[in-house]
Amino acid sequence: MGVRETGREDLELHRRLCSGDRGAFDELYRRYASPAYGLAYRLTQQQILAQDVVHDAFMALWRAPEAYDPARGAFRTFFLALVHHRAVDTVRREERLRKRQERASNLEPTHGEDVAEGVVDEAFMGVRRREVRAALTTLPPDQQKVLQMAYFEGLTQVQIAEQLQIPIGTVKTRTLAAMKKLRRALQTEDDS
Amino acid sequence: MTDHEQIEELLAGYVLRSLSGEDAAETDRLLSDHVPGCLSCRETLAAFQEVSADLALDAVPMDPPETLLPRMHRELEPRARRRRPVQVFAVAASVVVVAGLAGLAVTQNVRANNGRQEANALRAAMDTASMPNANLVPVGPATEISAPGQEFFYLYGRTVPQPAPGMVYRVWLVAGTSASFVGEFIPDEGYVNLQVPFDPSAHDALWVTQASAGSDPVAPTETDALWQAAS
Repeated sequence: MGVRETGREDLELHRRLCSGDRGAFDELYRRYASPAYGLAYRLTQQQILAQDVVHDAFMALWRAPEAYDPARGAFRTFFLALVHHRAVDTVRREERLRKRQERASNLEPTHGEDVAEGVVDEAFMGVRRREVRAALTTLPPDQQKVLQMAYFEGLTQVQIAEQLQIPIGTVKTRTLAAMKKLRRALQTEDDS
Repeated sequence: MTDHEQIEELLAGYVLRSLSGEDAAETDRLLSDHVPGCLSCRETLAAFQEVSADLALDAVPMDPPETLLPRMHRELEPRARRRRPVQVFAVAASVVVVAGLAGLAVTQNVRANNGRQEANALRAAMDTASMPNANLVPVGPATEISAPGQEFFYLYGRTVPQPAPGMVYRVWLVAGTSASFVGEFIPDEGYVNLQVPFDPSAHDALWVTQASAGSDPVAPTETDALWQAAS
């Protein structure tokens, strides 16, 4: 299933969700619960917190599906951003997670890592995942590091600068360079 | 470094949710004043948001506990059938616009008309709606969103009709038969998202009336209420 076809199906599911269709809710859950939970767990490093993040994200979607505006991009972009934001907020509330974050895996692709058995991983997302990981390998380690700390550890740029003992301007420069490089790489993948 | 490179730096940090302090405030300003009118920045923001969503896929997908979906099913009540438990409201000092593209609080003559404010306000309302034991109560075509422990509620709607020409909607908190005026609004293309502060005290209902713009608020009776949240 291609990205575009999946996007069209997501739009139809969202349209049905707006009219209170529980079946659409279940289908969106089937599609996105696993990547959402994986993301939330990677940030929070606690199952119960990750579960709450995913629960809150899906319930927010059910209660106000209009929050997603199809004109502003793909549903996947909207929903995973929603999950990420809630996970970051959770991490920042839970200071005790800081120590656990130090054990979190870094952004380097984990060679030989298989998706857990039983996880529903839509084919298109599996393909995209490989593209993302390939793109990440093209980043210099210092750029990977700031992305890791910002995106997966929920740190602010000020905190990153303090921890790495580098000027905040350097954090900003590395972040922008990394995002631009990923943008180019993933756009190319989109077009191929 | 050009101005746009500096803006791109901020947008990159923004989509990663890693800004704080002055950078966050500056980005809020840019998202209000500059980005909506700048094609280049809009494209950059959209592209960075897509990259951010793609980064999520680097996390190994995991099945959530099997209990999660049934837990949510129990909460998937038909929106229109939700009833609020008996709940008390206090005298509200004012109606505060927290969002939108839309919500126009005549009381404060403030129109929140930028995407960032809209998004923040909508997120705030949805955060409340997502809280455990949140109450979602129909108020005519709108919804009252409240949660235990919060000293405010939201009056939220996407399909609120315009009042008659020259008229405004007025919001009242009611104790028994006594109504206290808290503010007035005009929806913008159907959209309303108002934050109404309250203290836990005597008020037990919410009324919305329609009145001539600029007229003195006159306490209504229940029969004047166009819409109300039943307690």
